Amino acid sequence: MKCESCNKKHATVHLTEIVGTAKKERHLCEECAQSINTHLTKIPSPTEILTSLINQVAPEINEMSKIVCPVCGLSYLEFRSHGRLGCAMDYTIFRKGLIPLLEKMHSSTQHVGKVPSRAGKELIKKNELMQLRSELNKAVEKEDYERAAELRDKIYELSGDNDED
Amino acid sequence: MSSQATTMKISDLADNTGEWLRGTGPESDIVISSRIRLARNVARFPFLSRANVKQKKELEEIIRDKIKDSDISQDLCYLNLADITPVDRLFLVERHLISREHAGGEGERGVAFGKSETVSLMVNEEDHLRIQVIRSGFELKEAWKTIDEIDNKLEKKLNYAYSSRFGYLTACPTNVGTGMRASVMLHLPALGMTHHIEKVFNAVMKLGLVVRGLYGEGTQVSGDLYQISNQFTLGKSETEIIEIIESVIPRITSYERMARKALVSESREQLEDRVWRSYGMLKVARLISSEEIMHLLSQVRMGVNLGIIKDIEMKTLNELFILTLPGHLQKLEGRELNSTQRNVIRASYVRKRLEK
Repeated sequence: MKCESCNKKHATVHLTEIVGTAKKERHLCEECAQSINTHLTKIPSPTEILTSLINQVAPEINEMSKIVCPVCGLSYLEFRSHGRLGCAMDYTIFRKGLIPLLEKMHSSTQHVGKVPSRAGKELIKKNELMQLRSELNKAVEKEDYERAAELRDKIYELSGDNDED
Repeated sequence: MSSQATTMKISDLADNTGEWLRGTGPESDIVISSRIRLARNVARFPFLSRANVKQKKELEEIIRDKIKDSDISQDLCYLNLADITPVDRLFLVERHLISREHAGGEGERGVAFGKSETVSLMVNEEDHLRIQVIRSGFELKEAWKTIDEIDNKLEKKLNYAYSSRFGYLTACPTNVGTGMRASVMLHLPALGMTHHIEKVFNAVMKLGLVVRGLYGEGTQVSGDLYQISNQFTLGKSETEIIEIIESVIPRITSYERMARKALVSESREQLEDRVWRSYGMLKVARLISSEEIMHLLSQVRMGVNLGIIKDIEMKTLNELFILTLPGHLQKLEGRELNSTQRNVIRASYVRKRLEK
């Protein structure tokens, strides 16, 4: 069916107008429908609907959708559809999208466990400090002040020889 | 580490099982085994889903050599999974030496394991390297100690992908951080029979732990065997994760013991009848499916724990859970078997084992 306004393009918009008791049908192409725009507000395209849905469910996807890792070639969208990362660098490249995901999965985004010795002494110390602090918080919560004092001294001792903290 | 006569090696294994099934260790009436695995990747290589054939081959060679050089264990043997048959791979899955994914994977990949089968190292699984330690009974701390040492030895030779923010970097973000999955396999028939098992699941899930079947993620529960493991791997240290699991297991085991006691005091005759009938079936049946045998073994195992049956060793029962699986039966027979053939062989194998 051709558009009854321009008579050139295919009619994709079908309107039913009710004037008084009379029913009037109009068949228009998208362009004419928009330019006539009698009763119509703009009809969102499927892409627009999808985008707004994605924005509601996972707002980072839209923002990240164009990002591709220069090292392994994996795109953020591919990662989201398969759930597997392509290389270690992805953790940096997709960081913005990954942080909320990690928060959801692990309720945390900071590693506090083992450190490979070749990652350096500083890092090991930093992690040890972080663990001591979390233990200190727990001791304070439990009102175990003796243990808390012990932990505090250990923290001072460890962090004393540099002023990183 | 040897890779000679590897097929011989697999056949040699078929009539035995790993040390972790011997039924010893703390709480071994209910806790079958404690297992820890670490996921590691080698820096400057893509993860496996983005690695090409050449890179996979290179990774396999590097990691295999480093395992060999690391002096982890004298008797480590290495199998290239691409070189062995699907039945052999199934056999290794059933023994918990490799995962289902590893067995079904593609390309250059392998596994190294020791004679006692308590240590296994999977090369080119979902991550470049997956280290696993299994021990009999409730011994997570000891398993951690062993696996930590192995990891330290390997770390001297391999440059792991690691960041101070996210820890050990893994192909799937659900493993990032410690890269550690610690799990305990429990036998909980009484909680199943009294329908209290759901309560256990709910309590466990609140602690951020998950319950799975015998072969991990996505597998069905059978034989009343459950695996409880940590869900999160980031934000808590390895020891903290182990402590959380360690704190919950004694509560579950005492709950199971209570349920067993209640069954004994409230319906002793019915319970004894169930146990003896199951034992009888194992001794006389001519066809047993893999699902049925899990159920029968589970009942008998509980009967032995409760002192109803006295003439079978726990080790024998634990082993039968594994030795009667499809891959094992085919390996024992030395040929491929369809499911009816397996049911016949399974029944005759169990009869023989229980006569001994």
